[in-house]
Amino acid sequence: MSKVWVRVVLTVLLVLTVASLAMAKQTQITFWAMNNAPSEVNIPWMEEMAREFEAETGIKVIFEEIGWDNAWQKITTAITTGEGAQVFQVGTTWTPFFAATGGLAEMNVKDYGGSKAFMEANYISTTLNGKCYGIPWIAETRALFYNTEMFEAAGVTPPQTWEELITVGHKITNVYGEGTAIAVAGTNAWDLIHNWAIMLWSRGGDMLNADNTEAIFNQTPGVQGMEYYVSLVKEGLAAKACAEYNQPQADSAFINGDVAMVFMGPWNISGIENDNPTLPYAIAEPPMGPNGRASFSGGSNLVVRSNAPKAEIDAAIKWVEFLMRKENLVDYTKNLSHMLPAKLDAFEDPYYNQGVWKVFKDTLSYATAYPPLVEWGTIEGIIDTNFKNILGEYINGDYDTAVVKKYMDSAVTEINHLLEK
Amino acid sequence: MVKICPMSIIRYSCRFAGLNYRKVNRALVRSICLWNGCHRDENNRGGELNVNTVREKLSHMVMKRGSKKMSKRFTPYMLILPAVLGMLFVHFIPMLWGFIISFMDLNIYTVMDWIKAPFIGLSNYVEGFSSVTTLGQRFFRSIFNVAYYSAFTITLGYFIGLGAALLLNKKFVGRTLVRGLILLPYITPDSVAYNLWRFIFQARIGILNKVLLDVGLISDQVIWLVGNKTIYAVIVASVWKGWPFTALILLAGLQSIDPELYQAAKIDGANAWQRFKYITLPHLRPVTRTLIVLNILWNFNAYNQFAVMLGTDPGKYAEVPSTLIMRQAFHHLEYGIGAALSIVLMLIMLLITIGYFYYFRIRAERKGE
Repeated sequence: MSKVWVRVVLTVLLVLTVASLAMAKQTQITFWAMNNAPSEVNIPWMEEMAREFEAETGIKVIFEEIGWDNAWQKITTAITTGEGAQVFQVGTTWTPFFAATGGLAEMNVKDYGGSKAFMEANYISTTLNGKCYGIPWIAETRALFYNTEMFEAAGVTPPQTWEELITVGHKITNVYGEGTAIAVAGTNAWDLIHNWAIMLWSRGGDMLNADNTEAIFNQTPGVQGMEYYVSLVKEGLAAKACAEYNQPQADSAFINGDVAMVFMGPWNISGIENDNPTLPYAIAEPPMGPNGRASFSGGSNLVVRSNAPKAEIDAAIKWVEFLMRKENLVDYTKNLSHMLPAKLDAFEDPYYNQGVWKVFKDTLSYATAYPPLVEWGTIEGIIDTNFKNILGEYINGDYDTAVVKKYMDSAVTEINHLLEK
Repeated sequence: MVKICPMSIIRYSCRFAGLNYRKVNRALVRSICLWNGCHRDENNRGGELNVNTVREKLSHMVMKRGSKKMSKRFTPYMLILPAVLGMLFVHFIPMLWGFIISFMDLNIYTVMDWIKAPFIGLSNYVEGFSSVTTLGQRFFRSIFNVAYYSAFTITLGYFIGLGAALLLNKKFVGRTLVRGLILLPYITPDSVAYNLWRFIFQARIGILNKVLLDVGLISDQVIWLVGNKTIYAVIVASVWKGWPFTALILLAGLQSIDPELYQAAKIDGANAWQRFKYITLPHLRPVTRTLIVLNILWNFNAYNQFAVMLGTDPGKYAEVPSTLIMRQAFHHLEYGIGAALSIVLMLIMLLITIGYFYYFRIRAERKGE
C-alpha cells in the first residue's frame, strides 16, 4: 500500500518539475523605475505596457516601483551582487558613476536615431570615455510654481529677480502670515543641492572649474546663493519647519494651498491633478540673478545591468527599445508622468508649445547640467552633508556668513582631494 | 552565589510565563527519559531535573554508539558545534573578510571584480584619518556622539527598567498580562517604531510640538530633527524601545533572590530602603554587569534609529560610526576605507569591553566576591 503512495507522490513531483521547467523557459526580466507619476497610475500603465510587450515578444517584464531616496542603494546592490532588476531607471547625474563600476551594459545609440536624436545634456550624461551606457528617457527641470489666488490677494505678480522674490514674499506674508510665501526643502531632502544650484548659477558661479579639476562653489556666488536660501527661512517667508522638510513635504505644502510659491518640476503636475485638482496655480520661469536666469537640467536614463545572463540583457534592451518608441514615450510623458521626453522628436510634439509646457520648454533651453563625472554622486553627497550642517547651525542659532563659508570651504577641500585622485 | 545554568533559565521562564515549574520539570524529565528509551531514574524520585542528570542523559543520547570514555570527552564539543558553525559563518568569516578588505583598494572601479582588487597595505587607514579630508575628524566626532548617546540611553533605560522590574516583582492581579504588555515596545519592528517617533518629533505636524504648544511650555515650534537637538530625539526613541529588555532581564534577576533573605532582614528590622540596598542591589550586580556590556555593544553599533529618524546622513550632531561607515562604504562605494574605519571602531569597542570586564574583575577580587 505504502509503495503505491510513494509512486503516486513521485509521479506528481516529476510532472510538476517538468511543468515548471517548461514554464521557466520563458525569459523574464525585472524593471525598476521610480514613481515618475503617482503610483496609482504609474503602476497600471507599466503593467499594461508589460502585457503589450509580452504579447509582442513573449518576454515577461515585472515592474517594480522604487523610491528616489533608496534607488541609489538598491541599484548599487544590484550591480555589485548581480541580483535584482536587469533594467532600470537612473538619474542622469548617477549614470557615469554606475557606468564606471562596469555594471552597465554598453548601449547602441544608433538604434535610437543616434546621439543627435536626444537633448544634448541628457545624452552626455549617458557617456563615459566616449562609450554610451544608457538611453536618455525623460528630462526634467524645475520652475517656480505659484498660487494665483494668493498672488492676487497680495496684489503681486510673479517675481522676475531673486530680490523681487523677497519683496513679493513679504507682501504675501503680510496677508497670509509668517511662513506662507514659499516652501523649500531641508535636511531630509536627498535633492537639496538642486535648489541651491540655480541660485549659484544665476549669480555667475559654478560647481567646478572649466576642466573639472577643482571645486569653486565656495566663491562669492555660492556663499551668497546659500545665504539667500537660508534667508528665505530666516526672513519668515518659509516656515522654520522647512529646515527639516524633504522635497515632497515642501511640494505638498504648496499643493495643499498653504504656501504661495515653490520650486517644483513637471512631475508635480500629476500630483496636483491627483491631490488637489482645484488648486489655482501657474508656472513662471525661475527668477533672474545678476547673471541672468539659470535652471537645472536633470532627468533619467534607462540602463541595463551588464552582469545578467545574455538572454536577459537582450530582453532588457528590447524592453528599452519598446519604451523608447515614440508613441509609448509620448504617452508616458504627456499623459502620465508629465515629465519631458528626452528624445527630440517626441519633444517637438506641438503639445509642448502651449501653456505650462511652454514655460518648461523655455526654462530647459538655458538649463545647466552637472558635470558628467564618475565622482559626481560622491560630490553631491559631500555638498549635501555640508548644506545640512549649515541648516543645522541656523537652527542652533549659530549662523552667520563665516559659518556658511566654513562649511563650504570644508566641502571644497574634500571634493578637491577627491578630484586629485 | 548566583550561577546561570540551563535549569535556572527554565525555572525563570516558567515563573515568568506563570507555569508550574515542578510540572514542567517532571514533563521534561519524562520526555528525555522516553526519548532515551530508559525508565525513570530510581534515585531521582521527585523527578527534579538538575544539571547533572541532563548532562548525563544528553551525553548518553549523543554518544550511544561510541565508547563511554570518548563520548564523555566529545560530548561538549558536539553540543557546541552548531553554535560554533553558525558563529563562524555569520560572524568570524565576514569579520575576517572585512579585515582583509581594509587592506584592499576596493572602490567603484574595482568592485565588479572585487576578489582581484589590489592590496595597498595601510593606505586605507592613512586615507581615512588624513588631515586633508574631514573624514577622520567626522569619525571621531561620530564616536563622541555615539558615546554620548549610549551614556544617556543606557542610564535612562536602566533606571526605567529597574523601576518596572521592581513593580512587576510585586504580586498583583493580572501580573502576567502586564509582563507581556511591557514587551510591546521591544517587539515592535525598528522601522515602525522609529518612523512613528519621527512623526512625533516633526515640527509642523508632530504631536510633541502640538502638546507642548497647547500646554504652553513652548511658544514657538521647536525643530527637533535638525541641529544639536537631534540626538536627544533619538535618545528618547531608543530608551522607549530598549527599556523593556532591561526590565525583563532585571526581573529574572530579582526572581532568583531567595525570599527568605528579605524575611530575615525584616525580622532584623531593616526597612524597605535598606532591604533594597543590601539585598536587592548586590544580587542584581552580576546580571547588571552583563546587561550593561550588552547595551554598550548594541548602542555603539546603533544604525536603525539614526537612519530611520534622521536619514542616512543624520548631520554633524547625530552622526554615528554606523551611518558614517555605511555612507562611505555603500553610498560612495569606498569599501576599503569603510572597512578600515570599521576595524578601528571594532578595536575601540574591544578596548572598552576589555576595560570594563577588567575593572570589574579587579573590583571583585578586591572585595573577595
